[in-house]
Amino acid sequence: MSLLQIHDPAARPKAIGIDLGTTNSVVAYVAPTGDPVVIRDCDNLALVPSVVHYTSEGATIVGRHALDRAVEHPYDTIASVKRLMGRGADDPETRRLGSYRFATHEGPTVLLEVAGGRVVTPVEVSAMILRELADNAQDELGAIGGAVITVPAYFDDAQRQATKDAAKIAGIEVLRLLNEPTAAALAYGLDAKKNGRFVVYDLGGGTFDVTILDLDDGVFQVRSTGGDSQLGGDDMDRAIATKVLDALGAAGTDDASLTRYALAAARRIKHGLTDAATVDAELAHGDRRARFAITRVEFDALTAPLLERTGVACRRALRDAGMDPTLPSALPLDGVILVGGATRVPAVRAYVEKAFGRAPLSDVDPDLVVALGAAIQADLLSGEGRQDDVLLLDVLPLSLGVESMGGVVERILPRNTAIPCEAAQVFTTYADGQTGFDLHVLQGERELAADCRSLARFTLRGIPKMAAGLPRLEVRFAVDADGLLTVKALERTTGIEQRVEVKPSYGLSDEGLERMLLAAYDHGEADVEARLLAERRVEAERVLMATEKGLREDGDLLAEAERARIDAAIAALRVAHAGTDPRRLLATIDSLDDATHDFAGRRMDRSIQKALAGRDVGMIERDTEQARGIDRAHEDG
Amino acid sequence: MTDSPFDVLGLPTRFALDAAVLEARVRDLQRALHPDKHANGTAPERRAALSRAVSVNEAYRTLRDDLSRGSALLRVRGRAVSETGGAADPAFLMEIMELRETLGEARAARALDRVQKLAADVEASLRASSAALADALDAKNDLDRAEAEIGKMRYYRRFLDEVALAEEDAAATPS
Repeated sequence: MSLLQIHDPAARPKAIGIDLGTTNSVVAYVAPTGDPVVIRDCDNLALVPSVVHYTSEGATIVGRHALDRAVEHPYDTIASVKRLMGRGADDPETRRLGSYRFATHEGPTVLLEVAGGRVVTPVEVSAMILRELADNAQDELGAIGGAVITVPAYFDDAQRQATKDAAKIAGIEVLRLLNEPTAAALAYGLDAKKNGRFVVYDLGGGTFDVTILDLDDGVFQVRSTGGDSQLGGDDMDRAIATKVLDALGAAGTDDASLTRYALAAARRIKHGLTDAATVDAELAHGDRRARFAITRVEFDALTAPLLERTGVACRRALRDAGMDPTLPSALPLDGVILVGGATRVPAVRAYVEKAFGRAPLSDVDPDLVVALGAAIQADLLSGEGRQDDVLLLDVLPLSLGVESMGGVVERILPRNTAIPCEAAQVFTTYADGQTGFDLHVLQGERELAADCRSLARFTLRGIPKMAAGLPRLEVRFAVDADGLLTVKALERTTGIEQRVEVKPSYGLSDEGLERMLLAAYDHGEADVEARLLAERRVEAERVLMATEKGLREDGDLLAEAERARIDAAIAALRVAHAGTDPRRLLATIDSLDDATHDFAGRRMDRSIQKALAGRDVGMIERDTEQARGIDRAHEDG
Repeated sequence: MTDSPFDVLGLPTRFALDAAVLEARVRDLQRALHPDKHANGTAPERRAALSRAVSVNEAYRTLRDDLSRGSALLRVRGRAVSETGGAADPAFLMEIMELRETLGEARAARALDRVQKLAADVEASLRASSAALADALDAKNDLDRAEAEIGKMRYYRRFLDEVALAEEDAAATPS
């Protein structure tokens, strides 16, 4: 069905932004007016609970209706799956939540057992949620193009990769993985048209991020980011739920239904405490009955240790951005932005105000702001929107390195490095005639490999036999604009190269993905072929348009023979585009790419020259002097 | 021979650098090169832009930090600084050992205030070294002195990393 809509010339596919949250998810797009809008369901609700229910008949239900079944069918209703993304079965986090039934198997991946003997991975559960959001968007927009999907800034490589895999299974083209705080700043900043330094404090259902960024005439430049990908409103719920279970005389219960009931009750109580000083609740589950009262003061005491954990991350982010956290009121900040449902809790607001020495801003709905920002970025990347004005410059949240002798981590890219980035480190062998070299890729800030996140282990083979210490193994880490890592290794004395796709230790193989993709869609062979053709036609159109734009702008950079070769390749691609052979389309796209390779390089060099000439160093100095003058006048006045 | 980070960003080859100038330069270049600006370009354009955006960020990373900027400048002047630095002088090593001991004690006693005081002292030493490095490179062209200061700064940095971890431990496990 969706195929027909892709071809419908009346409805241009629209790029969307998706906030895939721990508790709730939201999808948004940019309306023809230029404003980002969230998509609401028939009940006018924007928040889709990130909950998937698996029925015993083999059907799946996503969202509110799934949530309604959580207490009755705790094991068949998967909530907060984001906390399991990219995690191993042996991870303590996986064991903490209670109402999951983990399938035992040999691999390192988490498997959840649900109704009807089905076994699903967190990635597949997330894919169901993404599919639901994309379907909602499709109902509203007719046809959807790619999507920008947000992730917590503090997500590591494995968690990011898992999110991208989920989109792949859901059949969604990912335009970009965007960090949630950056998305929020984008939605905020474009609105406010304000320059300066901002903090985004993002406490969601299950993750905490703090990001410090500078906004300067449409450039959003992240200075530093920190957080905790296992901390959020869920933890407040658990703290209350423990008290609720006490009141029901069921402390330490392993009854999953009761646990789900207590968590749901806790969430309602937490919401009640946002406006009321005391909440008095009637509890009832099965034949257990109790009255439960809690004051805000008591609740604040429960949340204090959680907030202190966010404070540690905030102070580190401030230091990483070159600021001193010890005197909050003296921090050179222009605003603190609150994001995430948990920031509605009054104690959180009070804590943020104390930590940063000023009252936080929250004039955009903290539950929707991330999706709105993602929609804006999707619009920009799909070639619409205010492309010339806006640029997001983000960073790597956690250091990347490899394990070296003695289990110590050798850091290759430090945290808060601007992405995309690359760095290389040269290693050598420690035994004569050694032909293999083990590499253990790690992410995290701790000194010992055992305390960092293990991303991948692999062995470089085929090193020519040499005396110990002679081979020069250059290991190159490349992180793209999604924050995803690729590792390349090169033996420099011989030039033997190996490129290693860092599939995280807990990730899925391409085969596994392929299988799930086919399982998710009951596409026949013909459908697959038709889909491929449709996709390549769109790609061909895009390449033709981009090439022609290049020729118009910089055609003078080409010698006659080069120009003739490109023109011939364009003509061949047009012929293939009129035909129906997807393989031929791919081949002609490739040969046009070949023909324009040098041209593209020269165009980029020209744009660098333009950028350097646009403002020489003297001019920049004058500009910044002026800006400082304005700041000073501002402070005096 | 690859371009020096100063050349990549079109900045004068010297230690003194106005942070605002560096930032503005990187932004001007990334406006032209960042992958987001070429999302709809041809594959060769995307590759060409990406590799140049990466070089700009690599140069930025090197120059924004005084320690790595100093090392890069030494390299331009023909002196390769090893990652570990040369042998430090004994008095300095003694100072570092004492600092470590004090940190260990404060850590064991979970005395966050003492840990923070220690950090402030080392940060002051780090700033002093950076000023000395600037003088050695830009005024005196004293490469030996510059190399020695870079070695010291490495020790101070590593020490501050440990302080940060100690602080986090103290906050993560309240006594």
